[in-house]
Amino acid sequence: MPPPNISVADPIPAKAGIGLRFQHHQAVLDTNPDVAWMEVHTENYMGGGTPLRYLDVIRRNTPIALHGVGLSLGSAEGIDPAHLERIRKVAERIEPGLMSEHIAWNVVGGTYLADLLPLPMTEEALEVVCSHVDQTQSYLKRRILVENPSTYLSFGNSIIPEWEFMAAVASRTGCGILCDVNNICVSAHNHGWDASAYIAALPTEAVGEIHLAGHSIKTLADGSVLRIDDHGSLVGDEVWELYRQAIARFGAVPTLIEWDNEVPPLEVLLQEARYASGLIDRSGEDFGHADAA
Amino acid sequence: MPTLLEMQIAMRASLLHRDSQTVSAMLAANVPEDRLDIYRNTFVRTLTKALRLCFPATERLVGGEFFEGAAQIFIGAHPPRAAWLDQYGGELPDFLRSFPPAISIPYLGDVAALEWTVSGALHAEDAAPLDVAALGAIGAKDQARIRFVAHPSIQLLRLNYPADVIWHAVLDADQAALRSVDLGTGPIDILVERRSTGVEVERLDEQAWSFLAKLCAGASIETALDNAGDLDCAAALAEHLALGRFAAFELAAPMTTVDVGPETSE
Repeated sequence: MPPPNISVADPIPAKAGIGLRFQHHQAVLDTNPDVAWMEVHTENYMGGGTPLRYLDVIRRNTPIALHGVGLSLGSAEGIDPAHLERIRKVAERIEPGLMSEHIAWNVVGGTYLADLLPLPMTEEALEVVCSHVDQTQSYLKRRILVENPSTYLSFGNSIIPEWEFMAAVASRTGCGILCDVNNICVSAHNHGWDASAYIAALPTEAVGEIHLAGHSIKTLADGSVLRIDDHGSLVGDEVWELYRQAIARFGAVPTLIEWDNEVPPLEVLLQEARYASGLIDRSGEDFGHADAA
Repeated sequence: MPTLLEMQIAMRASLLHRDSQTVSAMLAANVPEDRLDIYRNTFVRTLTKALRLCFPATERLVGGEFFEGAAQIFIGAHPPRAAWLDQYGGELPDFLRSFPPAISIPYLGDVAALEWTVSGALHAEDAAPLDVAALGAIGAKDQARIRFVAHPSIQLLRLNYPADVIWHAVLDADQAALRSVDLGTGPIDILVERRSTGVEVERLDEQAWSFLAKLCAGASIETALDNAGDLDCAAALAEHLALGRFAAFELAAPMTTVDVGPETSE
């Protein structure tokens, strides 16, 4: 018997939302904050028990997006059908407005490597990712979004620019793109790319969500400077500037504030979301001027 | 040119075993090899954090630094097999039981086993308790053939040391209770379950534990009643039902042979 379709309880509005973490479950229930939507990591709500009970209640008032970190779309050995089924079960219960995963891999030899690992930008990797996006979308009977990665190294056999890789996955599979502006900033610094050109190269119609977060700057032993995507601070000025460029190009898109390390009080996330909301509102005005000119 | 699979196998060797020779040769020419350390550090830190969350009392018994060192060795030997870290760490109790530096704490593995069981109950699938009215509709002559399906959070555990007392004392930082623990009281039988109020750890006497273990393993009531000794089985069953320890039931085929669930043994 085929599994039932996953319904959408509430679509995700083209406004600013926040990443919901366990630390804030109770505060969200107590204060019912004024925020357009929230996103959770799918893997944190597998099985049963308390986390799902919170989410069952929170989703009555707030549209929820599911963001996966463990499907390993880039695994050469294939994706784990048991994991795909666990994702489906969470989605069936939560009825998310959006579902997303990453252009990355973390499973090989039956081992889960617990990070979002970089892929070589090759035709082989592109085919592997596309076939797994196809498999995921047909299993879930849902369009998914795929997020551009933050990376610290690149491979000798990479021949496809990452922005072209992202565009190709979207055009071949019909999936959307989750444009992580912070990841673009981090990777552009780490690899010497032009972050603005990256944003300008993404297919506008495919971008269905934007992520914003903080990152840190680390000086390595050899004196080289690396941007680390640690989601542990306020969104930086450079990322806000890239975000302005992104919404000028993509229009108003659901935008998420992510924070995973040293998670601050809920109010700090809400302030960041309000700031992003202000930029989304003003980007509409800018469009008006551009059209008039 | 390496295939994707060759690269991923080489990356695994770098993360798990610090063997970066193969993957280093696959990196772009201008990429310093120490960039691999960033991934390795994230891998170890993420899994260590998952183990800390699951085994807080175990960590307190040995101290943070010792736990971190043991976790590093454990992660290399027993990396996760699925992208579901709530389910990671099941091999840690046995790992600690045979970990030479921990040999002076003989009960460490039992405390870890209890914590693993608590974590399992915490994250077990949700299930509604069985409908007692439907059970009441079973005629008296068929009642002996009833077989239950345990609620997914029910865990039954038999340990050599009083790990439940140690666990409570450690988490409450109750030094007096910890000092008064008698390690020589013999094996204990534990029931762990998740109720609406949270996870409960209860000690059962041996007969009550065995009776419940048989029922949870799918033995019919009739089979579970065998060897139940002087246990008040009717009262025990009523309590299990009242507390929602079973999620469903079915009727075993009429008895011709003794049908015992796979987990039961004498």
